[in-house]
Amino acid sequence: MHPGSCFGRKGDNVTEEESKYIIVGGSAAGMAAAHAIRLHDRQGAVTVLTEEPDTPYFRPLIPFVVSGKKRAEDMVLSGCGPYIGRDIFVRTAARVESVNTTEKTVSVQGSGDLAYEKILFATGSRPYIPPEIEGTHAKGVFALRTLVDARNMAERVETSDHAVMLGGGLLNLKAAFALLERGLKVTLVVYSPEVLSQLMEPEDAFLIRKALDRAGLKIKTGCAATHIISDRTGVTGVALDPGGEMSCQMVCIGKGVRPNVEFLYGSNVRIDGGVVANRYTACNTPDTFTAGDVAVTFEPVSGDRIMTALWTNAVEMGRCAGQNMAGIKTAYSGTFGILNATQVADEPFVSMGVVHTTDHDFEIYRHATDMTYRKVVFNPVGTCLIGAVFIGDITNAGLYRYVIREKMPIMQIKRYIIDHTLHYGHFMTGKV
Amino acid sequence: MAYTDKILEKSIDPSVHKMLERAEQLNLETVWDRYEAMLPECGFGELGVCCRNCNMGPCRISPFDDQGPKKGVCGATADIIVARNLIRMIAGGAAAHSDHGRDLAHTLLLTAEGKGGGYEIKDEEKLKALAGEYGIETEGRSKEEIALDLARAVYGEFGKQEGFVQFTRRAPEKRVALWKSLGIDPRGIDREIVEIMHRTHIGVDNDPVNLILQGLKASIADGWGGSTIATELSDVLFGTPTPVRSQSNLGVLNQDHVNIIVHGHEPVLSEMIVAASNDPELIALSEKVGAKGINVAGICCTGNEIIMRHGIPIVGNFLQQELAVITGAVEAMIVDVQCIMPSLGPLSECFHTKFISTSPKAKFPGATHMEFSEEKAFDIAKQIVQVAVENYSLRIPEKVLIPEDKTECMVGFSAEAIVKALGGTLDPLLNAIKSGDIKGIAGVVGCNNPKIKHDYGHVALVRELIKNNVLVTTTGCNAIACAKLGLMLPEAAEQAGDGLKGICRTLGVPPVLHMGSCVDISRILTVCAAVANALGVDISDLPVAGAAPEWMSEKAVSIGAYVVSSGIFTVLGTVPPVLGSKVVTEVLTLGANEVVGATFAVEPDPIKGARLMIAHMDKKRQALGI
Amino acid sequence: MSQPKEIFVKIDRCVGCLSCTTACAVEHSKSKTLFGAISETPVPKSRVYVQWVEPDGKVPLVCRHCEEAPCMYACISGAISRDENGVVITDTDKCIGCWTCVMVCPYGVIGRHLEEHKAYRCDRCPDREIPACVSACPTGALIYDTVDSFSGEVRKHASRELLRAERG
Repeated sequence: MHPGSCFGRKGDNVTEEESKYIIVGGSAAGMAAAHAIRLHDRQGAVTVLTEEPDTPYFRPLIPFVVSGKKRAEDMVLSGCGPYIGRDIFVRTAARVESVNTTEKTVSVQGSGDLAYEKILFATGSRPYIPPEIEGTHAKGVFALRTLVDARNMAERVETSDHAVMLGGGLLNLKAAFALLERGLKVTLVVYSPEVLSQLMEPEDAFLIRKALDRAGLKIKTGCAATHIISDRTGVTGVALDPGGEMSCQMVCIGKGVRPNVEFLYGSNVRIDGGVVANRYTACNTPDTFTAGDVAVTFEPVSGDRIMTALWTNAVEMGRCAGQNMAGIKTAYSGTFGILNATQVADEPFVSMGVVHTTDHDFEIYRHATDMTYRKVVFNPVGTCLIGAVFIGDITNAGLYRYVIREKMPIMQIKRYIIDHTLHYGHFMTGKV
Repeated sequence: MAYTDKILEKSIDPSVHKMLERAEQLNLETVWDRYEAMLPECGFGELGVCCRNCNMGPCRISPFDDQGPKKGVCGATADIIVARNLIRMIAGGAAAHSDHGRDLAHTLLLTAEGKGGGYEIKDEEKLKALAGEYGIETEGRSKEEIALDLARAVYGEFGKQEGFVQFTRRAPEKRVALWKSLGIDPRGIDREIVEIMHRTHIGVDNDPVNLILQGLKASIADGWGGSTIATELSDVLFGTPTPVRSQSNLGVLNQDHVNIIVHGHEPVLSEMIVAASNDPELIALSEKVGAKGINVAGICCTGNEIIMRHGIPIVGNFLQQELAVITGAVEAMIVDVQCIMPSLGPLSECFHTKFISTSPKAKFPGATHMEFSEEKAFDIAKQIVQVAVENYSLRIPEKVLIPEDKTECMVGFSAEAIVKALGGTLDPLLNAIKSGDIKGIAGVVGCNNPKIKHDYGHVALVRELIKNNVLVTTTGCNAIACAKLGLMLPEAAEQAGDGLKGICRTLGVPPVLHMGSCVDISRILTVCAAVANALGVDISDLPVAGAAPEWMSEKAVSIGAYVVSSGIFTVLGTVPPVLGSKVVTEVLTLGANEVVGATFAVEPDPIKGARLMIAHMDKKRQALGI
Repeated sequence: MSQPKEIFVKIDRCVGCLSCTTACAVEHSKSKTLFGAISETPVPKSRVYVQWVEPDGKVPLVCRHCEEAPCMYACISGAISRDENGVVITDTDKCIGCWTCVMVCPYGVIGRHLEEHKAYRCDRCPDREIPACVSACPTGALIYDTVDSFSGEVRKHASRELLRAERG
């Protein structure tokens, strides 16, 4: 029985208004949930409400719109990979203003109310603009989050010479490269001692830093912006702390995200920073679920409450939520706070689990060569793998994620983990 | 910590641990890294069922009954293919040893003709004894005259078509008669090797047993031919070894001397390097460049040759050759032939070390070739040593790390030296064997192999033997391992059983006797032949056994073949590529007993291997009624 | 529609000859011959791997084309999908070389193409009846069969063994 065959029957006269399932938010978590529902419930209508004007797309690809390497049409979600379910109604420019969990209705801005049997809150997160930076409303200041942002940035590039990126996170790095490819000069202003401070420690990042330097990116660490200078043409410069000014025509802010929970204020849904989910992705009110950046879930190694802003995690949690909504009780195994894989300036890297080890008692092994770097982190007694960073050579990274996530007993394979020679044959032949 | 475990489990030698850690620090590849990268090794090769002898192939026989080809394209079965491959290994090994012997014969010839560039005849007594074996007149003749005739006679053994190889007649009459009856009494050294190559060509010999017999024949022409010639003529030219003290392991390299390592096999080169390093002009030069002198040390068999005769220290055995370079303290690594890793060239380029090849037969990537010729031997040796001395100033102090490990040893036990230590006759030894103070004699020999924990196979096996009162004679890399691990000191007798302990204390010798390089296994054969003759039995009746716990080379296969052909049970630490053929495996491990009175056994665990040898000796003692 | 076929691995049959990896690389080369493949740039890549487990384990590993492929869900550019034959495919045009698929693959069988900066994996040799690796294996360690048929064979063999053991 192939998945493609059970994706709903066409021409069932099911209308949107009768949607059994409503999904608020049309990105990773929302669409993953929608398709997961369809896999298990061939008939129930699904309506996805997204406030963006664009139909669902692969958000991580938007830097390519900035660089001009891809067009918006190349990023459409529907029809790709697992997103092949039928009869999933998507309404764009449909911002949900409030939810009534007793009446089981949502109120859509500029439209009416919609009734639901089960609802998923997957509104994701929005960029955080630090209020202490003045002048962020000027033309030419961006936070790259949506296709709309990407289009605007791409346009601004035409009249720009130098762009300043505030923040050394992954998204800003990708945006920086996109701008470099358009021929702009780019400077990264990073408050931490090194780039990617959320994903690894400063000494882990040296190979990446070298690659960035080679690629022509200017980087200032230990530095922050105080205010943005502009005139009627838009941004003209940035003032820095500890001092100095830089002239530029574009500023890109990558200082983290905040969950989009405002629409739930006044409802009975429990919020604690984000929307609180139990192990089965359900909220405290009946028939309500949550997934993705907006949700508060837990970290599998420590059990701590955690919120993440990662596509992979959102898809995973969204799928789980979708299954639960379709009546199949599925526990969510938790999400790593750090689970990133990408290629920065031809340098592939993977970072997962607990990688910040300063001031902790973890058992750590590092190995560096000219071309590669790895760090594996074990718990203090050395019996469990809790984190790993691989740069340059990312062979079999998936196996390490599995080992971390499942908290596998690793004594028989510890040396392979440390030597980065672990392979699936070890699992198949009963080493673990 | 697991990180160090990875290094710890590679060797029992602490100097190796230090250097492997250093290699990791410096990001340098060693033989162990290349071995790991090779895994998994191809099972067809491991089983010996891969044949590339003709272009209808390459063929491989599937080891599984229900799947894959069962015969090569020509129709050869696994039994035929395995047998062919095995005796080609013997051919390779026998050729190596015999060429070594040939070079010695050539050197003796030149020396006798007065054309040797610095060689002399040092042991006239031995010269005369050998001449006697060839029926050459010695009365009233100069040593040059005798040497000329002997050299010509020995040289002639190589290209002989008919007849027999003289030194095979040292074996007991019963043994020679057995060889004759089996048709494996060799006719000439090169001929038997050539015939292996012919027989293993497509469509020639397709009978596994017939093939193996030819393999044995060629190996006998090695052991009692080429190797014996190498040993005996080296004794004539450079002196028969007598007991001498020395040291071994990486710690013999000297921080403030010019360090020269000789590596390879033929004393024809290493003796001259040693002599040149004593040249006062060169020593003065070394002081001029800031060193305190010239320190020559050896690796592998050529190291064994010069330690036996001059007490020149040994840096290490086969698997340590790269580690020696990694110390960063070697001005020159001078090599001739055999067991030299081609990785040394690129490795030396990471340091100031000059990797110098000397033989036209053995060139290497990244080596500086300074061709050696016997006619100009001493002069060329001086040139080479000078290059090394001049290289001292290019040593990079920050890159130098010499482990402190070095151990004292007492070596130099040629057959003659043993007899002398016994007081001039074999009787004390025979009595000790009869009384049981000495249960038997073992010859533990052979290379290193990363498949076995470095030196563990050697030393654990030897320790178990001496614990059980077995006197151990050793050569090659095993000897170096025992020396490094302290088994070659008279004090090591403490680790022996009471019987052996007593004998060692009385004679003032260690329980493990270093008899030299791999060709010097011929010395062990000579001793066994002498003991057998004294007792009036064949070698196969003696309580003796052989072992090669970490072997790897084709030379070792030839050695194993000639040792077993001489009637000595031999234990191998790594499996030879024969398991793909039931017939060949059974012949080697069982059937050979009916044919040559001895077999092979394979046992990777050295303690178990030792116990096999001990059990074998007990059986033989019982049969002898002692 | 009939069941799709999978590539099953009989670990005890693998001798580590690496014929499968050679055949796979050749099949995915431009010239499709061994002698041509060895001189091509970029170097043709094998999608099947033979790994070593101490002391003597030889384990062939290849993409399992999972029904709920973690890589497909994790791909941030929608490049990975499962076709009607059950083969999980990476669309190289869409692949941006982010390696998230490598990070989530529990078998470690997604490769990183160094020259093209894209992910690659076994494609079940769409131009062949039988995948190249299976054809090349000289000992029957790789079997191309449906789940039902393969399990059936295993059951047959197991029942014979059980009966033999029982009857002594």
